[in-house]
Amino acid sequence: MSLLTNLMNNSLDEGYAEAAARRPTSAAPRDWRKHSWLLLAGLLAVGLLLSTAAAQAHDRASSTAEAGAALIQEIQARTTSNDTLENSLERERAEVTESRRNALRLTSEGTALAARLATLEVVTGASPVTGPALVVHLTDAPPSDDTGADVDPRTGDAADGRVTDRDLQTIVNEVWASGAEAVAVNGQRLTALSAIRSAGDAILVDFRPLSPPYDIVGVGDASAMRASFVEGFGGSYLQALRDYGIGYSLSTKRSARLAESSGVMLRYAGVPAGTETHR
Amino acid sequence: MIAVLGLVVGIVAGLFLEPTVPIWLQPYLPIAVVAALDAVFGGFRALLDGIFDDKVFVVSFVANVLVAALIVYLGDQLGVGSQLSTGVVVVLGIRIFSNAAAIRRRLFQA
Repeated sequence: MSLLTNLMNNSLDEGYAEAAARRPTSAAPRDWRKHSWLLLAGLLAVGLLLSTAAAQAHDRASSTAEAGAALIQEIQARTTSNDTLENSLERERAEVTESRRNALRLTSEGTALAARLATLEVVTGASPVTGPALVVHLTDAPPSDDTGADVDPRTGDAADGRVTDRDLQTIVNEVWASGAEAVAVNGQRLTALSAIRSAGDAILVDFRPLSPPYDIVGVGDASAMRASFVEGFGGSYLQALRDYGIGYSLSTKRSARLAESSGVMLRYAGVPAGTETHR
Repeated sequence: MIAVLGLVVGIVAGLFLEPTVPIWLQPYLPIAVVAALDAVFGGFRALLDGIFDDKVFVVSFVANVLVAALIVYLGDQLGVGSQLSTGVVVVLGIRIFSNAAAIRRRLFQA
């Protein structure tokens, strides 16, 4: 404690008192008011230091903000160009489908192939589908009042009422099991190779982040699917989720359209050597 | 009068010339500012006490800045730079506070 007391009581530099004591009491104090170049230089240095530090701090803050703005701009530009590319991909795919259909229509063998292709495309998620659908709607639990300071971030109690990737996986599997022919989560068509996982707080489907609430749409015989889903494991799983405050609703739609999966790509096929490719 | 003039000229010069601080000196700038503030408050209090001395003021200012920077530099070399910076800021902060309190008591009699 004596250190702190000492610090509090002797805050004035002892040099001043000593200098005053050194001065003979009879002599008039040195008149520093008139012209002291030393004092001028000292205060000049103080002012220079203060303003330089201020300018420096200001510079640093503005350069950080600039870098952030530039990054945001770049993200937006890349997103736009991504969208453009995706659009042109979609157009070219439609062209390919069109010319393929025209080519296959010429022979009876081709017609059979086209029919088989259409079935396969629905199953693999390569083409959009329309039809009656079962819709499972999931919402995160509303934030409870006691989340905050007393929640230990390490145990993750705050995430109690949130839909997790496991929940989505289970429910999607149950929708498939109840007879769906095509399934999409928040508009993301699922294929046999789709992954539902989480990264941090976000749930990713095919590496695209979803935001709550979650809509799982299964196209198929809607009323039969609904009955089968509710009676099966899916129904009891939803009941269990309700205990955590997660809200859900089941509904059937007369007609729903699921877009094709954007993740379908050629894995083994390639352009034959010697064939002219045009771009 | 000349003192106020010096301070104002210094601040204006710093704002308009914007001297570039070399990168190796930048970490010590905040500490130097705190040390300079300590010297300024100490000088002002001495002025009110009637024992101001220009030589003591200038020497204490320069020495404060240098010693504070030296301590932080040493800390950086030893790997305890942030702790030593905290120590310097705490000590100088207490001094600034108690000097400011003394100035306040003298100016407002309260």
